[in-house]
Amino acid sequence: MIAEAGMLASDAAPGKGRGVTPLLAMTGVGKRFGAFEALADVDIAFLPGEVHCLLGENGAGKSTLCNLIFGIHAPSAGEMTLAGAPYRPAGPRDALSRGVAMVHQHFSLINELPVIDNLLLGGRLGRLDRKGEGRRLESLAQEFGLTLDPAALVGDLSVGQRQRVEIVKCLMKRPRVLILDEPTAVLLPDEIQSLLAVCRQVAGAGCAVVLVTHKLAEIERVADRVTVLHRGRIAARSDHPADEIDALVQAMIQRPVARDGEAASGVLALPKRQRPTPLVEAEEAMQLDGVSFLDRLGVRRLDDITLSVDRGEIVGVAGVEGNGQSELGAILAGLMRASAGRWFAGGRELTEASPRAITAAGVGIVPEDRHAVAVVSGLSLADNLFLNRMRQFARLGLIDRPRQRALAAEYIRRFDVRAEGPLIRFGSLSGGNQQKAVLARELTTPDLRFLLAAQPTRGLDIGAVEAVYRLIRDAADGGVGVLLVSSELDELIAVADRIVVFYRGRIVGERRADPANRRTIGALMSGQAA
Amino acid sequence: MTAELIAVFLGSTIRLAVPLLFAATGELVSERAGVVNMSLEGMMLMGAFAGAVGAALTGSPMLGLAAAILAVLPIAFVQAGLTNVLRANQIVTGIGINILVLGLTTLGYRQMFGERSRATIPGFDAWSTPLLSNLPVIGPLFQQIWLAWLGLAIICAVAYVLACTGLGISIRAAGEDPQAVAKSGANVTAVRHGAIIFTGVMAALGGAFLSIGDIHTFTEGMTNGAGYLAIVAVIFGNWRLWRTVFACLLFGAATALQFQLPALGVQIPNALLIMMPYLLAFLAVAGLVGRQTAPRALAQPFWP
Repeated sequence: MIAEAGMLASDAAPGKGRGVTPLLAMTGVGKRFGAFEALADVDIAFLPGEVHCLLGENGAGKSTLCNLIFGIHAPSAGEMTLAGAPYRPAGPRDALSRGVAMVHQHFSLINELPVIDNLLLGGRLGRLDRKGEGRRLESLAQEFGLTLDPAALVGDLSVGQRQRVEIVKCLMKRPRVLILDEPTAVLLPDEIQSLLAVCRQVAGAGCAVVLVTHKLAEIERVADRVTVLHRGRIAARSDHPADEIDALVQAMIQRPVARDGEAASGVLALPKRQRPTPLVEAEEAMQLDGVSFLDRLGVRRLDDITLSVDRGEIVGVAGVEGNGQSELGAILAGLMRASAGRWFAGGRELTEASPRAITAAGVGIVPEDRHAVAVVSGLSLADNLFLNRMRQFARLGLIDRPRQRALAAEYIRRFDVRAEGPLIRFGSLSGGNQQKAVLARELTTPDLRFLLAAQPTRGLDIGAVEAVYRLIRDAADGGVGVLLVSSELDELIAVADRIVVFYRGRIVGERRADPANRRTIGALMSGQAA
Repeated sequence: MTAELIAVFLGSTIRLAVPLLFAATGELVSERAGVVNMSLEGMMLMGAFAGAVGAALTGSPMLGLAAAILAVLPIAFVQAGLTNVLRANQIVTGIGINILVLGLTTLGYRQMFGERSRATIPGFDAWSTPLLSNLPVIGPLFQQIWLAWLGLAIICAVAYVLACTGLGISIRAAGEDPQAVAKSGANVTAVRHGAIIFTGVMAALGGAFLSIGDIHTFTEGMTNGAGYLAIVAVIFGNWRLWRTVFACLLFGAATALQFQLPALGVQIPNALLIMMPYLLAFLAVAGLVGRQTAPRALAQPFWP
């Protein structure tokens, strides 16, 4: 069966629902995208009448699992059964006709059409009785305590309202299996309450509800059973999730225990960092002073963050994803403005500064989403290495290509970017080498004082992870202050000097980066004030 | 005298607008489904040519019309295969098809009509609508061949389908967010195939109207940009059916003016009037005639 190490205590005990025929069962299911293994060896059963939560970090394979069930992707291995019969949906249409519906993370709604048209899309082709259907759907919505305005344009609705439309669109098909892919990520607290109530009610009617989330409070409130995914594999299961939150968090954030029984924290081959003693007096590299951020919907994503990073220091930011880390990264990169508070680097206030001004102040940024904001995949490695400093090669308004190539070749050697040459297309490099190239560019920022490294090792293999951290450490040893955001707690403990924990946009605690503090930090991450 | 001139002007406006109306209505359906059918010009030209050939060979304009539709369908299939199955660039394939059809029809024309290039071919005759044609002043307006009335009927039917049926929602949704349509259980590729084939039939009718409806002859490259003009009408109409119809009538009127103004003694260089529809289109695309709201997924291939 599953890796024994990942099982929680309750697995051994006879759980509730044992003996019931699962509505939907997956055995040995795997999914590959090219060389990337998104899911492997997944055995999971969804029972009628249960709310089954899938827990895991971004990239753990939760969405892939949902897409397999809904027929968007076909599994590369394994079998699925629906109510005992083989189930291999050819596409969403097939899945819907078999009674499997899905509330998508990115809604399946057309903004340009009114609510009623969205609900009727994909149904009959002939003349539509919008009025009659509208009334029928309104009363269906009311059954679940939802309100619906059939005539409203979807584009005019708030995110919460859109999601209610999306839910009604599923419920009107009277599904046997209802999948909700991170439905609460976009909702306000009271909207979350009513969504969870809908989940319970649907399950109460005998459906299997599959709820993807990484919010622990929701699991406590609504989950009958929980399955934790980590890097595409099942890391733990629990039949009594409310009592085992701590263990679930550990399973979610740690690396799966290696096959030879090696301890999880020993995965990184880096020795624990010994911070060099400050020369004379610590000098601040970066300072955040009461920074808050409210998103477009008025939800407080960052709440009064005050934090400073000294030169030569590596401060880790731990936390389950979606607790404000992305927003902090975007503010430091100059892509968003703080709603309140100020921030400084190298003695200069940068609260309102543009990305160019931030770079000029000696701030290097390794952003979370490399492809979206850090690089241009279609340009060469050399061009990407100097993307924001091309002017240094200007000669009579033209780029001095030989000089650029020579300097690029030097960086490639120095930062050990494995590439055929400086002119190779950036997109053809492996993820690890792409990240080393981004680091090379950011670490060579003139007068570098502060480096933000947001999830710098996501998606990298272990060798590349070590190389990236070696570079970051060398920079810190050279006097750069580093803010390291990562969802891999073990990596933070190995690399950082101290760790601050983000929970719901606040700093809820600070600990020395010491393996002994691992459990406390994990508890802080799950919102349990230590 | 002046009233008579106005009636003639209105009559020729409609006569000149009908081919555009057919093609633009077809193109509108394609574009609402997310496909820019640039091969519209080639489809019309093939329709005009095949209609003329069919009518000349059989002596029956009805069979000519059928030949026009049959000859355009393969082009529509090619366009549908290229854009929906192979996901090729819609603009490039469309223009390629246009150039191919121009060559084909020119060659075919020279082979078939070479020696008697001035000969008229059997075509449809204008049809006096009972009662309406006897009205004073505007009577001539209703002296149109029956194809014009068919066009009106089809336009009304398209308006109904787009607004009031499930098929219409699928078409409009496929042009805005095909991913969402697929997740909702509808078949985006089938919708887009159907839309392109419908466009082909409409373009065939429009092209045939030119050759066997209007002037009863075929000349090389006789569409002379009418297909492009129909695409422009869709843009000018901001992808709304009735505004597109209005744009076609406007372009028809601008063309009719070329013949009317000299008769009225107004001296404007003809070239200026020929420019007019395109100039209007430029203004429309530049956003000077209201905000442009193209379907969001227009010209984007759909990957399931």
